[in-house]
Amino acid sequence: MSRLRGLHFEPLWWSLFSAGGVCFAVFVPAVALVFGVLVPLGVIEVSFVELVGWYQGIWGLIFTGAVLCLPAFHAAHRIRHGLHDLKLGGGSTSAFICYGVAAVFSFTALWAWFTF
Amino acid sequence: MSYKTSLSGSWWRKHRFFKLYMLREATVLPLAFLLCSLLAGVFSLQDAERFAQWQSFMGNPLIVAVHLIALLASLYHAFTFFQLFPRVMPIRLGDKTLPAQWLVAAQWLAVVVIIAIVLWVVSGGEP
Amino acid sequence: MNVQTRAIEVTRYSPERDKEPYLQRYDVPFDESTSILDALNYIKEHIDATLSYRWSCRMAICGSCGVMVNGIPKLGCKDFLRLYDHTPETPIRIEPLAHFSVERDLIVNMDEFLTHLEAVKPYIIGDNVDTASLPAEASLQSPAQLSRYQQFANCINCGLCYAACPQFGLNPEFVGPGAIALAHRYNLDSRDHGKTERMPLLNSKNGVWSCTFVGFCSDVCPKGVDPAAAVNQGKVDSAKSMLIQLFKGSQLQGEHQ
Ligand code: SF4
Ligand code: FES
Repeated sequence: MSRLRGLHFEPLWWSLFSAGGVCFAVFVPAVALVFGVLVPLGVIEVSFVELVGWYQGIWGLIFTGAVLCLPAFHAAHRIRHGLHDLKLGGGSTSAFICYGVAAVFSFTALWAWFTF
Repeated sequence: MSYKTSLSGSWWRKHRFFKLYMLREATVLPLAFLLCSLLAGVFSLQDAERFAQWQSFMGNPLIVAVHLIALLASLYHAFTFFQLFPRVMPIRLGDKTLPAQWLVAAQWLAVVVIIAIVLWVVSGGEP
Repeated sequence: MNVQTRAIEVTRYSPERDKEPYLQRYDVPFDESTSILDALNYIKEHIDATLSYRWSCRMAICGSCGVMVNGIPKLGCKDFLRLYDHTPETPIRIEPLAHFSVERDLIVNMDEFLTHLEAVKPYIIGDNVDTASLPAEASLQSPAQLSRYQQFANCINCGLCYAACPQFGLNPEFVGPGAIALAHRYNLDSRDHGKTERMPLLNSKNGVWSCTFVGFCSDVCPKGVDPAAAVNQGKVDSAKSMLIQLFKGSQLQGEHQ
């Protein structure tokens, strides 16, 4: 079939990588600062009820997509190419494992929100 | 007979430029850790007791340190990514290309605005 | 005037004689205007006539004098001894371009780049019109049309970007920065109709998709081409082209604004 000739998945991974890269740069700093550092250090207080309230709504879905799923694919892509750079792999086995883990991670995160 | 060497896996240690490249690629390692912590957090929202457990995990100084590294990594990633963006997708208006510095500045503005919004919302403002 | 000398180490390799390249040290006089190429010429004329290297224009136009200077790809005629450390204990090291096979001394096998360059068809592909019979206006371009590709047209095929690119070093099948920049240059040209012929190679895994935007190619390019930008703009084009092929069952046609 000529319409499939020469096609491969790299453009798909690259698109997810790029979208995830934007999220990693724009959304992750705020989340890492607030939930990774300020809240644990007690600088800011958040209550369980408040968090559940936000997570249940559309914010939870946005968080899932922009902070969990897309950055996961971003990370998978860089790790896979990093393995190639270090001559530790980077071929189709690495690709299968890296994108597979990102896909399972994303599916779990989405499932958590939809079944909440 | 010509002479050819092949690159070893440590090629990137030869030059500062390549070390910074590898640092950029390595920013995803602390990111991956943060993502796992956050996914655990999402699951802990199912009941208050598990949430308290998650909070004490997040408060462990070692974990805070790793998340602090993830924060710095995200900022370094942002620094590199924002410079690449105008080169990959130059925005053209007529026969002029929008100056790259404007796009870089606009992207940093977005980071600051998002941080401000998240801080404002979690510290009691209405979403 | 008091003559200063500078220690230089040059890679020597003779395929008939040596199992592998080695460094040979020379002391050359220099002043503010001595280029790396001048230093090599001095060695060849006054010290050792057997030294082999390429050069022609000595003004950063022909692209034949590329060498590694202290590990960084440079045009010998555009890099100067005065820019390097002034102690005789730390010689300036001049080596053949990295990632290429060495033929002799500083001469590398440029075919390893040129075959990729040829493969991307870096010339205007018309639509089978006899251009000689066309009125001159037919190939006129507006400044806006020119500005789309002008930067990428400055390439002099020196190959420095290949010596800077670890992805080419790891995988010599990678089409590489310079050739992809030129493919992009012709794809962006309003007079060209060859994009469909160039895309299959660019779409392949050894095309634009081998690049991880290390970006060193653009740093070392002596002509400000920014090949890394071209390759990554090429990824956007390639993604579009492959999507169109998937849905329409045919290759992307050359499109121009
Ligand atoms: S893009 Fe620049 S470095 Fe690469 S071959 Fe062309 S002029 Fe040389
Ligand atoms: S001699 Fe022509 S580019 Fe240096």
